[in-house]
Amino acid sequence: MAARRATADTDVSRARRLELPVVGHRPAGRDFVWLVLDAPPDWRSLPGQFVNILCESDAREARASEGRVLDEADGWPETTGLELGGRRAFGRRPYSIARVERRGRQVRLHLLVQVKGPGSRFLGSRPVGSAVDLVGPLGTHFTAPAEDRLPVLVSGGCGLAPIFGLAEWLAEAGRRVVNLFGAATLEAMPLGFSDRPRPTGERLEETASANEFAFRGVATFLATDDGSAGFRGPVTAALETFLDGAGRGEPAALYGCGPKAMLKRLAEIAAERGLACEISLERHMGCGIGVCLSCVAKRRDPGDPRGWTYRLTCRDGPVMDAHEILWDDA
Amino acid sequence: MSDAQVDLAVTVGKIRMRNPIATASGCSGYGEELAAFYDLGLLGAIVTKSITLEPRDGHPPPRLVETRAGMLNAIGLANVGLEAFLAEKLPALARYDVPVIVNVAGATRDEYVRVARALDAAEGVAGIELNVSCPNVKEGGIEFGVDPKTLGGLVEAVRREVARATLIVKLSPNVTDIAVVARAAVDAGADALSLINTLRGMAIDPWTGRPRLSNVTGGLSGPAIKPVALWMVRRVWQEVASERGVAILGLGGIQFVEDVIEFLRAGATAVAVGTANFVNPETGRTLAEGLGEALRRLGCASPLDLVGRLEVT
Repeated sequence: MAARRATADTDVSRARRLELPVVGHRPAGRDFVWLVLDAPPDWRSLPGQFVNILCESDAREARASEGRVLDEADGWPETTGLELGGRRAFGRRPYSIARVERRGRQVRLHLLVQVKGPGSRFLGSRPVGSAVDLVGPLGTHFTAPAEDRLPVLVSGGCGLAPIFGLAEWLAEAGRRVVNLFGAATLEAMPLGFSDRPRPTGERLEETASANEFAFRGVATFLATDDGSAGFRGPVTAALETFLDGAGRGEPAALYGCGPKAMLKRLAEIAAERGLACEISLERHMGCGIGVCLSCVAKRRDPGDPRGWTYRLTCRDGPVMDAHEILWDDA
Repeated sequence: MSDAQVDLAVTVGKIRMRNPIATASGCSGYGEELAAFYDLGLLGAIVTKSITLEPRDGHPPPRLVETRAGMLNAIGLANVGLEAFLAEKLPALARYDVPVIVNVAGATRDEYVRVARALDAAEGVAGIELNVSCPNVKEGGIEFGVDPKTLGGLVEAVRREVARATLIVKLSPNVTDIAVVARAAVDAGADALSLINTLRGMAIDPWTGRPRLSNVTGGLSGPAIKPVALWMVRRVWQEVASERGVAILGLGGIQFVEDVIEFLRAGATAVAVGTANFVNPETGRTLAEGLGEALRRLGCASPLDLVGRLEVT
C-alpha cells in the first residue's frame, strides 16, 4: 500500500503559484490558528498533500514590488524586508492541506497553523481580507485502505492537520474511522470541544465531548502527556491499548502524522503487528518542488547495494510507507 | 521607445541568450522542476545542478537552513551522476527552446576532464560551467578555485577537451582577491566567468550548541550576499573581463529587476537567479518579462548598453 505519486494522479491539480484571499481566521486552542483560503474552482488535492506558503509579507504587497520598475518617487525599492531581514522569515513554509471544503464552485482550503516561529507567526496573523502566496498542491497523498481494514488515524500536535482531511475524506467515502489524537496537554489541542473532555487515566475511551471530528461520525480518542484530557501517556500507547482492546478482532490500517519519535514508534507497532502504515513526514524544506534537495529522508531500497537511497520528502513524500523509512536516520 | 527597439539578446562565450536571465546551478534542479511553473523557453539559459562522474547522495540532513535575508546550504553535490544525466535528464531538457549550461564538479582533475569531455560530445549542451567553488565538499570543489595555479591547471586540462561548448568557470568568493583567480581562469582558456558562488558560513542553535547543518559549515546565498557579489563582479570586470572581452554571468541574491540592472552596471553581461527560485519559482520568468520595461526607462536599446556603466562623479 505504498503512497502513490500525486503527479501520476488525475485527482489532483498541477502545482502552481497562487495568491489566495484569506476568508477565515479562527484561533484554536492556545497555540493554533485555523486559516481558511478561497481557492479556484478547479482546485483538486487529496489528503496528505501540502502547500508551500510565502511567509514574509502579504502576497499583494510582495507582488507590488516584484518585477516592477519603481518610480523615483517610490524611493528605495520596497523589497518587503528581505534586504534587512530582521527576524522575518525569508522563504516558504510547507503546510499540510487540512481540509478542502467544496460548495458548488466555491472551494476553500483549511490550514492548521501552529504559531511557533517567525514564519508561522506571520501566517497565523493574516487577517481576513489579506492574501497568501502559495505554491501547490504538492507532494504525495494518503491512499484508502482495503475494504476489510479499519482505518486508524494517529496524530500528535500539529500532525493533526493532514489527518483531519484524511478522516473527512474516508468518512465521506462511507468508511468508519477511528481517530487517536495526542498532545502535551488539553490546552495544546487545536480542537474545539463542546465541553471539557474528561481525563481517563489508563483507560481509553472515545471522547464524549463533541469536536470537529465528532460531527463527521469519526470516533475520536484523546491522549495527553500530563493526563489533563483522555488517556494519560503518548498517543502510540493509546493506539496499542486500542488495538488490544476495542479494536481487537478488526484488522486495522494505520495512518500517522506527528513528531519523529511518535512516527518511529507507530512504524514499530505497525511492523510488530503486520499492519499497513502510511505516514506524513515533516521536514524543513528549501523549495518544496524537488529542486534544492534539502528535505531528504533515507528510504529502504533493495535495489541499492547499501539497502537505502535518499528520497525527497517534498516530491517522493510527504506521505510515505512507514515500513520503508529508516527511522534511526530519518 | 517602443517594444521593438529593445533587444534583450546577449552573448556569453558562444551562447546566444534571448535575454540575460538564466537560472543558477543548484537552484533549478535539472530544469524540468521549474518547467512545471513556466516555459523555460522564456529564459536566456538554464544552468543545471552540478554533475559528477558518479552519482552522489550528498550530505545527511539537515542540509539547508534559513538565515537573515538568506540561506545556508550544504547539500554535498547530490546528483544523479554523468551517465543518468546524459541518459535521462539532458534528453528531457531538449523539449525546451533554451540553451543548457551544465555545471560540472569533480574530486580530481581527471574527473572534471572526463565529465567535461562527455558533455562536450553530447547534443544539447551549450555550455559547461566548472564548479571550482563548492564550499561544501572536502575533496575537490573549492580547493581548485582558491589557488590560481591549481585553477589554471584544471581549466587548461578541461579546455583541451572542450571544443564545442562554451567553457565557463564559476568563481569562489572565498578568496583574498577574486581578480587573481579570474585572471588565472581566463589565461587558461575560460570563455566566460560566473560569479559568485556561495560564501562559506555557518549557523548554530544557541541553546543546544548544535550547528544547524550536518556538514557544520555551508554556503550562504540570497539577498544577504548581493552587495558582496556586486563588488566582486565589478572588480573582475575592471581587472580582467572588460579588457579580455570575457563575459561575466553575475549571481548572488538576485530577486528583482532592479537587482539585474545593478549587476549589469557592475559589469555582468547576464545574470543567474538562484535562491530566489525557492521564494518564488517563477522569478526567472518575472525578470525576463520585466527587464524590457526597465531598459526602456533607462533609454537603453540593449542590456549591453548598461554593462559596466556606473555614473561615478
